[in-house]
Amino acid sequence: MLLQSALIFWQTTSYQIMRTDLLLSREAALITAQTRPVLDQQLRMRASDDLHLLIAGAGLFDAQHRVLNGNLQTWPEGLQPDGPVLPLVVHPTGQGPRAVRAQAVRLRNGDILVLARGLRDLEEVRQIVLRALLLCAVPGILLAVAGGAWLSHRALLRVGIMHRAIDRIMAGDLHERLPAGRERDDLDRLAGSVNRMLERLEHLLDEIKGVGDDIAHDLRTPLARVRTRLERARDAPSGVERPPGRAALLTEAVDRAIADLDQCFAVITALLRIGEIENGRRRAAFTTVAMDELVADIVDLYEPIAEARQVVLVAARCDAVHVHGDRDLLIELLANLIDNAIKFTPEGGRVEIGGVARNGEAVLHVADTGPGIAAAEREAVLGRFYRSDKSRHIAGSGLGLSLVGAIGRLHDARIAISDAGTSPLPGCRIDVTLAALTT
Amino acid sequence: MSAVVDAIVPDMLHAQCPHVLLIEDDAKLALDVAEELGLRGFTVTMAETGPDGLDRASQGGFDVLVVDRLLPGLDGLALIEQLRRQGTRTPVLVLSALSAVDDRVSGLKAGGDDYLTKPFAMVELAARLEALLRRPIEARESMLQVGPLVMDLIERSVTRDGRSIELLPREFRLLEYLLRRPDRVLTRDMLLEDVWHYRFIPQTNLVDVHIGKLRRKVDAPGETPLIHSIRGAGFMLRIGT
Repeated sequence: MLLQSALIFWQTTSYQIMRTDLLLSREAALITAQTRPVLDQQLRMRASDDLHLLIAGAGLFDAQHRVLNGNLQTWPEGLQPDGPVLPLVVHPTGQGPRAVRAQAVRLRNGDILVLARGLRDLEEVRQIVLRALLLCAVPGILLAVAGGAWLSHRALLRVGIMHRAIDRIMAGDLHERLPAGRERDDLDRLAGSVNRMLERLEHLLDEIKGVGDDIAHDLRTPLARVRTRLERARDAPSGVERPPGRAALLTEAVDRAIADLDQCFAVITALLRIGEIENGRRRAAFTTVAMDELVADIVDLYEPIAEARQVVLVAARCDAVHVHGDRDLLIELLANLIDNAIKFTPEGGRVEIGGVARNGEAVLHVADTGPGIAAAEREAVLGRFYRSDKSRHIAGSGLGLSLVGAIGRLHDARIAISDAGTSPLPGCRIDVTLAALTT
Repeated sequence: MSAVVDAIVPDMLHAQCPHVLLIEDDAKLALDVAEELGLRGFTVTMAETGPDGLDRASQGGFDVLVVDRLLPGLDGLALIEQLRRQGTRTPVLVLSALSAVDDRVSGLKAGGDDYLTKPFAMVELAARLEALLRRPIEARESMLQVGPLVMDLIERSVTRDGRSIELLPREFRLLEYLLRRPDRVLTRDMLLEDVWHYRFIPQTNLVDVHIGKLRRKVDAPGETPLIHSIRGAGFMLRIGT
């Protein structure tokens, strides 16, 4: 609004100056057209009558700028005959110095006529415009203040509603959402973003809650068994004489209880380990690892286990390629894959491990002839905590693939699960793709 | 299957009470460890900070040190370096979070020291301390013998009472490790780590299967078992029960 006012003021002023200049030029043209006596008469009139309020000065000078007639005592410095209209200060007779716009015109006889027009009317116009502008500004400002207050009140009301919604969310009501309307303004869009974040958080929390329930269940089952065993051992009749006898019964009960507790520890240790691998970003132990050695080592380690379960462990082709990684963790990744494969493959089945170098990448694979993993579950099994219902009945922490996922993520590896294409069971094939090092 | 020898406490009592300096800032863990080691026949002195631990260790009189990797005041590894510069040769076991295991920590093994990642089982800690106390292992022999079991490291052959035992290379490595450490509790983790050089927790009874296969070859039916399972701890090669 200030800028607008300044523009109006400037426009008015320059229009007024233009008008003054135009009047001066016309007047000069009119006067110079007169004969000398008429001109002298005109000059005297202009200097004396009321017009001098407007025409502040008029003077006739000779070619050497000496005063011939009129009310200007001296030649106004800087003025050029037949030059442009200039803003000057003149000293008319009987008056103080006045700011004027002046023009000099050369007459036919060589004398010079100077006309000066005061800026008084300009001042007046300026005052009027200024007053008008001020008068306009007051209601304008009042309107703006009132409008602003109304808008901010409305915004504060909405923020207040949001605050209360956030308070309810913080109090534990995770289903609560902020009012976002149709997201037409910034506040609504912000609320919309917060809502989407809340949705994601709620989803993650549900997931963790599900995991928590699963883990609780996994721990509860063996713990309940431990409790039952210990109770039964305590209540065993002391008079058991027939073999194996009370002592042996107790020993057996304790042994089984310890085995169940070990299962609980396995779950807890695996969880802690996954957490540490994911949060610790343990990259300090990264070195150059030869893929073929990795595969040979893991086959050597797992051959007897496969044999004991009547499963054939086959080392397929493995290219000599190097990757950057943590050897212990990569072995753990392969161990878990093979472990899983052997666990789920029926007797007489086959587990294959191999690795190829392809397009600057090292692709390790473990394939089995087991029941496979349903397509819908493939992504989830590598997640942080996921247990397929099928894995519940198999020994171990059941978190092997979660551990594989965590180690894979640490190594920026791509892990793909597919059918192995075997029969009668579809089998499961897991490909782990790592960046190969150029040697 | 072989007879089961009871836990490792009685074995430890044969030795004089080994004196452990435990430098650990986690007071709860330190107390747990001290109590457990006390039960297993160790005398334990505790220190909570790096500088305090360094002071006590420098004064000597300890058979083995247990040092946390991350200590207030002085990092565990820096503490060990200072001790070594001062000429203190006491063996050290470093406790480390998995995420803090780096080359310097895993390099401890090469220097004859050891490390353990948290969380760990107390039996694991005890077995490793015992292993550190019984250093050094004579590595230059060409023949290893425990009772009737003889291993020729040059011929790479094994006999028991003259009966030749055919072993796969990995079985040979495993038996060599056992023969070099008779009468000692060897945990599954120690075997996995020292024989196969892996540090991870297998989901299956990996080591048990390997030991089982070896045992079937070493302890033929009717022979006195040499490879024993130690309940809740691991395995042991020993003559008699």
